Amino acid sequence: MVRPAKPVDDWDMQMLRKLSLRTRILLIFAGLAAGAVVALVAGLWLGHRRLGSPDTVDAFVQAGVIAGFLIVGLVTLVWYLFDLNVAKPIDVLAGALRARTHADAGGNLDAAVARYLGDLAPAATAAAATLRETRSALAEAVARETLRLGQENARLETLLSDVPVGVLLCAGDGQIAFYNASAGETLTTGASIGLDHKITDYLRAGPILMAYDRLMRAGDADAASDLICTTVDGARVMAVRMRLMSDETETRPGYVLTLRDVTTDLAARTRTDALLAEIFDRLRRPVANIGMLMAAEPETGEPVDTALRAEVASLAAAVTDLADRHDAKRLEGWPIAMARASDLLDALKARLSNAGIDAEIDAAPLLLRCNGYDLIALIGGLCSRLAETAHRHLRISIGEEETGAVVRLVWEGDPLPFAKLERWLAEPVDAERPQLRLADVIVAHATDIWPERLDGNHAGLCLPIREARREVGRPPPIVRKVVHDFDLLSQSRSAKVADTRLENLTCVVFDTETTGLLPQQGDEIVQIAAVRIVNGRQVDGEVFDSLVNPGRPIPLSSTEVHGITEAMVSLAPDVDTVLQRFHHFARGAVLVAHNAPFDMEFLRRHEKRIGLKFDNPVLDTVLLSAVVYGQHASHSLDSLTDRLGITIPEEARHTAIGDTRATAEAYLKLVQILKGRQLTTFGDVLVEVRRHGRLLADLNTDEAIQK
Amino acid sequence: MPEAMERRPRVLVVEDEDSIAIALDFIITREGYEHERIATGNGALDHIRKTHPDLVLLDVMLPEVSGYEICQGVRLDPTLSHVKILLMTANGSAIGMRKGLAMGADGFIAKPFELAELKKEVRRLLTAADNGAPGEAGR
Repeated sequence: MVRPAKPVDDWDMQMLRKLSLRTRILLIFAGLAAGAVVALVAGLWLGHRRLGSPDTVDAFVQAGVIAGFLIVGLVTLVWYLFDLNVAKPIDVLAGALRARTHADAGGNLDAAVARYLGDLAPAATAAAATLRETRSALAEAVARETLRLGQENARLETLLSDVPVGVLLCAGDGQIAFYNASAGETLTTGASIGLDHKITDYLRAGPILMAYDRLMRAGDADAASDLICTTVDGARVMAVRMRLMSDETETRPGYVLTLRDVTTDLAARTRTDALLAEIFDRLRRPVANIGMLMAAEPETGEPVDTALRAEVASLAAAVTDLADRHDAKRLEGWPIAMARASDLLDALKARLSNAGIDAEIDAAPLLLRCNGYDLIALIGGLCSRLAETAHRHLRISIGEEETGAVVRLVWEGDPLPFAKLERWLAEPVDAERPQLRLADVIVAHATDIWPERLDGNHAGLCLPIREARREVGRPPPIVRKVVHDFDLLSQSRSAKVADTRLENLTCVVFDTETTGLLPQQGDEIVQIAAVRIVNGRQVDGEVFDSLVNPGRPIPLSSTEVHGITEAMVSLAPDVDTVLQRFHHFARGAVLVAHNAPFDMEFLRRHEKRIGLKFDNPVLDTVLLSAVVYGQHASHSLDSLTDRLGITIPEEARHTAIGDTRATAEAYLKLVQILKGRQLTTFGDVLVEVRRHGRLLADLNTDEAIQK
Repeated sequence: MPEAMERRPRVLVVEDEDSIAIALDFIITREGYEHERIATGNGALDHIRKTHPDLVLLDVMLPEVSGYEICQGVRLDPTLSHVKILLMTANGSAIGMRKGLAMGADGFIAKPFELAELKKEVRRLLTAADNGAPGEAGR
């Protein structure tokens, strides 16, 4: 393709643009002068030719020189004035504006310089002033936020440093980016902990990497993995919870570890377990011996003989009963979380295929209470030993059984001799932990293992797991109940409600669903939901949401609106109980509702019976909407949220909690708009709202506001 | 059948603790069975192979060779299929019982047990042996 040649005049224009304004104007005037002189010379020359007399040359030349000088002088004068009053001021203004745009130059523009430029100088001055204000407001806001973030950061660090649980933040490759005092203490064994060191320098890598892989595979940002892990030297045992830090930009996101040192707990537990086991073992035998010896003796019918036999029988019964009770509670309080059967077998399969063992896995959808890492080490260890005895193709399954589960290892061939199994169980779990035998893992899980013969030339090993439950999907993400608002610390809490700024009000936004619209005729609440707003934001973890048994039928027409049936509320607490709880939830807060008089009526009719008063200050989003949009607009929740750009998910509409959240969002936005109208305190808004009193009754008594 | 009735069932007690062994000897004899006892696990399997008892009263915790191992050995030997095994253990847990039955025991009693319980189990197993293997019982 041939590129078209660039036109020459275009190039000239580019050159011109590069010159400064004043030079260009100078060139224009110089061109004007030159053009005028050339025109003059040409005119005189033409006149001289037409006259045809050579002796007039001198006169023509003289006239030309004088006219030429005059023209040049005049043009120079005009140029000079233009340059002084137009071009130069424009340059100065432009320079000053640039200075204010790019650098943060202050001060007013010199208006005198540009007095012949009409409104340009004042306009530029105004623009510069606005720019300066915006810039300093922004800088102030940034400084304020930075300071606030810095303070929150410092407070969080203080908090984290004092919590007795170890908290560590690690990058995806395991480098420690943060640790609190407690984590430092627990992990410092010999080598002291340091930022940028790897977590696996302190904690055994296996369980950490396994948990990380599991979380990565789960792909659920809210999932957490609980694991048991020892320090590298094996001296201390930690119960660890791992949570990935959701960061879409990282392929290997970092993670948070919370550590609890369970060494002493576990050791004490193990000792108690061993002691109890010995107690029962050493009681069972002699009691059995005495019982049988007594039974061997013929009964004499003597009172002493009869009493002795009764005592022995009751001793035997007591030992059996106590042992059974101990057996049923073996895992109670074991600090071990549930592990997914499929996760266990996936990890096991990976481990086995590394060792060149082909395993077929089959996991029922179960969660097992087990120390996942140790259990995998146990089963893996057994598989490796089986593979050495020519059972290279193994099938490993986890199935449901009674209240627990059972792990089965199946192969084709003869059953494993019991003596051989016993020998294997006496061997260490892995080379790193020579003191931990396979049998110890079994004892720690309060279970046993045995060989079995199965149908069709198959044999296996059977390992029951005491506690398991069915998997019901991934559990829903738990709202992280980190509930904090440090601004509460700095507010003077004594300000009366009327003087409180709207954004500082603690509000409880609530909504009720009812059996009907007529509380006077006995309609009742069937559901009540509320959220708390503290310092201008919804507090995620602080939610009230309860069904209420209205003690009367729910008409079908109402069920069609809110979807709540009589069956759903049959086991719900009654209205008095729920309102007492709600009263507690709303203590000291301003109540906010959409069409508050309706909901308040339902609350207040029970005040006497429950002995509590709902005398909180009340704000009605209908009235706030009327203040903002005028009385004639539609103030339904749908119209209001629509105007404010808030969407209520269809499935949440007409559920108490869905409407509550929407009302809360609408309230927060309305507060911002009211602030823009200089209605900043509760009192200001109340005065304004009362002007709309004709629209709806205001529910605030003077006492409520003074509270 | 009449032939079987004539012979007294033979019970082998494998138990290392003397006190209970003495008591069991007395009780089993009183019940009208033939009785024999060995005190260690070592050699128990050979003894069973030699004597073909009708019932082995087998303690789990034995010196040298465990009761489970003897149990597995008996079950792996097809010539001993008529030998009934009643396991006695001081581990009365549900898992312990499952393990015992999985290892091939025909019955399981946890120490301490009552005389009535023992008699009932022994009778149940010997009756089953009579009904289950009438031909072998007369051998």
